[in-house]
Amino acid sequence: MSADTQSHEHHIVPVRTYFATLIALMVLMGLTVGVYFIDLPGLGGFLTGTVVNQTVALIIAIIKALLVIMIFMGVKWSTPLTKLWVAAGFVTFSLMFFILVDYGTRREYEPVPAWDKAGESATPRGFPPGSQSVPSNNINLRPRG
Amino acid sequence: MAAITHTSDHSHDDHHGPLHHQFESIEQQNESYIVGMWTFLVTEVMFFGALFLTYTLYRAMYQHDFFVAHEHLSIPMGAFNTIVLLISSFTMVLAVHFAQLKRARAVIANLWLTIALAGVFLVVKYFEYTSKFADNLYPGPSFTANKAVFEHNGHVPEIDLNHAQIFYGLYFGMTGLHAVHIIVGILVLAALARMWMKGNRLVTEDFVPTELVGLYWHFVDLVWIFLFPLMYLMPKPH
Amino acid sequence: MSATALHPSELPEQPSEPKNYLNVAHTIKSWLLTGDHKRIAILYLFSTGFFFFLGGLAAAVIRYELTSPAGVVLESETYNRVFSAHGIIMVFLFLVVVIPATLGNFLIPLMVGARDLAFPRLNLLSWYLYMAGGTIVLAGMIWGGIDTGWTFYTPYSSMYSNTNVSLVIVGIFLGGFSSITTGINFIVTVHKMRAPGMTWFRLPLFVWSMYATSVVIILGTPVIAITLLLVVFERTFKLPIFSPELGGDPVLFQHLFWFYSHPAVYIMILPAFGVQSELIANFARKRIFGYHFVAFSSIAIAGLGFLVWGHHMFISSQSMYQGVVFSLISFLVAVPSAVKVFNWTATLYKGNIRLQSPMLYALSFIGLFTVGGLTGLFLGSMGTDVHLTNTYFIVAHFHYVMVGGTVTAFLGGLHYWWPKMTGRIYNDGWAKINALIVFMGFNLTFFPQFIAGFLGMPRRYHYYYLMPEVQAYHIMSSAGASFLALGLILPVFYLGASLKNGAKASANPWGAHGLEWETTSPPPTFNFVETPVVTDEVYDFDPVSEYEQERATQEMVHPGTPGLLTKDGELKTGDRE
Repeated sequence: MSADTQSHEHHIVPVRTYFATLIALMVLMGLTVGVYFIDLPGLGGFLTGTVVNQTVALIIAIIKALLVIMIFMGVKWSTPLTKLWVAAGFVTFSLMFFILVDYGTRREYEPVPAWDKAGESATPRGFPPGSQSVPSNNINLRPRG
Repeated sequence: MAAITHTSDHSHDDHHGPLHHQFESIEQQNESYIVGMWTFLVTEVMFFGALFLTYTLYRAMYQHDFFVAHEHLSIPMGAFNTIVLLISSFTMVLAVHFAQLKRARAVIANLWLTIALAGVFLVVKYFEYTSKFADNLYPGPSFTANKAVFEHNGHVPEIDLNHAQIFYGLYFGMTGLHAVHIIVGILVLAALARMWMKGNRLVTEDFVPTELVGLYWHFVDLVWIFLFPLMYLMPKPH
Repeated sequence: MSATALHPSELPEQPSEPKNYLNVAHTIKSWLLTGDHKRIAILYLFSTGFFFFLGGLAAAVIRYELTSPAGVVLESETYNRVFSAHGIIMVFLFLVVVIPATLGNFLIPLMVGARDLAFPRLNLLSWYLYMAGGTIVLAGMIWGGIDTGWTFYTPYSSMYSNTNVSLVIVGIFLGGFSSITTGINFIVTVHKMRAPGMTWFRLPLFVWSMYATSVVIILGTPVIAITLLLVVFERTFKLPIFSPELGGDPVLFQHLFWFYSHPAVYIMILPAFGVQSELIANFARKRIFGYHFVAFSSIAIAGLGFLVWGHHMFISSQSMYQGVVFSLISFLVAVPSAVKVFNWTATLYKGNIRLQSPMLYALSFIGLFTVGGLTGLFLGSMGTDVHLTNTYFIVAHFHYVMVGGTVTAFLGGLHYWWPKMTGRIYNDGWAKINALIVFMGFNLTFFPQFIAGFLGMPRRYHYYYLMPEVQAYHIMSSAGASFLALGLILPVFYLGASLKNGAKASANPWGAHGLEWETTSPPPTFNFVETPVVTDEVYDFDPVSEYEQERATQEMVHPGTPGLLTKDGELKTGDRE
């Protein structure tokens, strides 16, 4: 395994491939800016016009990124290990977006009657309810700046 | 156990060329460096990724305010910068190509072109930043309290300045971090160009160091490919 | 030719000690500018030991404070800084680093049959980054400390705390890069530098675990790096990201923080699992039961570990529905760990068990880690977690897995590979007593904390005079801590003494199996005289030759004795006599 010799020397990409990729990237650049000035119609419900525009812009960006990754960075001709790493990186990157599910699924909590009796619950244990006030401790509450 | 005879008594590495002592062959060394560089780039993906996540969250929460705040950004400057970086990626990949063909002069020319384009990028960035500072759009205690800054087509839109501050916090954070990566890239590119100019065997005999720098540079370009539409080309809420 | 006096350099070569990585050069420069992974491992051993000692001092102060419900010598402000110091030093400067950087650095090239790691200079840089980061953290501690806890929750850390938050975060940031470079090195080495014949499924399980750890490091550490950087930006440049007054969300910090910090605990325990596999296999002289399952479970833990961070945030106002999902996946991630524990236990069955000190550590690992893991299930289930979170139950849980797990495994591994690393044999009698002290001291320290936590004792509290009934548990815990401290300090003495007085170790004093045991103790700088070609399977113990087994054991106890001394005083020099 350590001596496998699939070396980069075996494949030298011609300049015209790179140049063609550059032209493609420029065209996509133009498309990105162009789409900005067009207000695409929404598809109903959650997919408002804004979402459609943004999705289209992101798709164009992803295509540009794929061109850079595959051709400029040479992943198209690289070892399977490199391809695996690239994939793993972007999979974990998207995994982080699972965080957004939290914000999307928060709901209003039902009121809990027992928690409304603030005065009682603020009394330390062992003392009659309402007999002690919680001492205020402002040591660490100075806002900075 | 049969063994490959290989003495551990090594003469100095530069007599053997660029092969380091821990590797058995130049192919193994090259592949190791490429895998190592990609592993590093994966860490950079996660590094910027958290910022993209933060941006996505706040953008989803405050769509209108982010849209109004972003209109102060100059799309022509951003577009120009994107084109500059794309061309610099092209010159970088040409440098790697010529390094594979061992054409030193072409490599050096393309490396310096890449550096020059990166410099142009930073200059444009400087003008962008100063225009923000002039309007007190720098997040912090001195952030503008004046909504008129966001005047567009003659009328001042409704905007929550707190959320605008978050947008600019993210803008400066993300583009600033990207700019730091560009500066580091320029330094590395300059060092590489110098090594080519001095005929250092480490880079002239083996194209992989040049390719590694190229990978890093393309990554920097990749980040900008996403930053530009997300920050400068926000679709209007409709 | 007349006889002339010979210059000393012309004298015939005196038989001298064979050159190994330790005696090949003695200057400080040769140590500080080394590329040799073994020397870097020793450098790490000393630096992590130093930080462990400092973190332990902080722990001693905490345990002393908590013996009385109203504190003993500290102000509450100071107490906050002491437990933050303990957490930060132990987590970021010790646990994440110790097994990968000491044992991993030393052993991975040996175990795969390479001359060095893939990138030796990057390895040295990793140590310097660690020292720089550690020094900066230490500076922050000395110049007043930090009172946010090791979790740096916003907005307290980013807006209100008046302590050295930024300085300490910079130190942790550098430490994070040290971790990342180590991870890159290990991944490339395992992929690209295995010796001929060393296929993936002939790799020792330690290497599998270290590979999984490195993947977690690569994918997780950058996230916390940028998150803490954002906290620094918020403090110094007032860049608002987590600031609630401006509409920012402090819970976002918790999401990003725990997105790394949960996989981080797997960074801390996976190497320990790897050491554990080596210890159990070699001291039961039996191939690990279910080798493939154990290998894949490391990868599974690494993967699933990225999906459970929300179980640290059940009470943070996180969506309940997402909490349910995290709870479920947390139960799932316990499965691969359980697979490992079952497989180790199954390996012991019908094994030829030798109860030398590394095995004692390995056996106590099984018990202590299981307790820690099972209590993790109480915490992973959202309902019970609402009661138990932020209490001493959590403190006890993570100390069981971290100290009962990682530190125990580290001690076991240190003892096991000590002859290989130093070429000396230590006094196993002392080591066995020490293992017992650690086990008993540890349980006395942390088991009462489960009970105290269940009764409601909150964590990070300085005063508990409103709950005086838990004082008894705190006092038990502090007594245990003194005993545990003894057990953690003693190895310095008997291991240190072995450097001077210990017998010289042969290449394989334990009769163990592995490429690292095929070379001398200590190994030469380039590890192997000839690049090994691997032809036998991993853990391929020959069950037939009892003579070999006994011989190896005797070598540990009476090194250098030819043949095998039987109980009757006979000397057997070969098999089948």
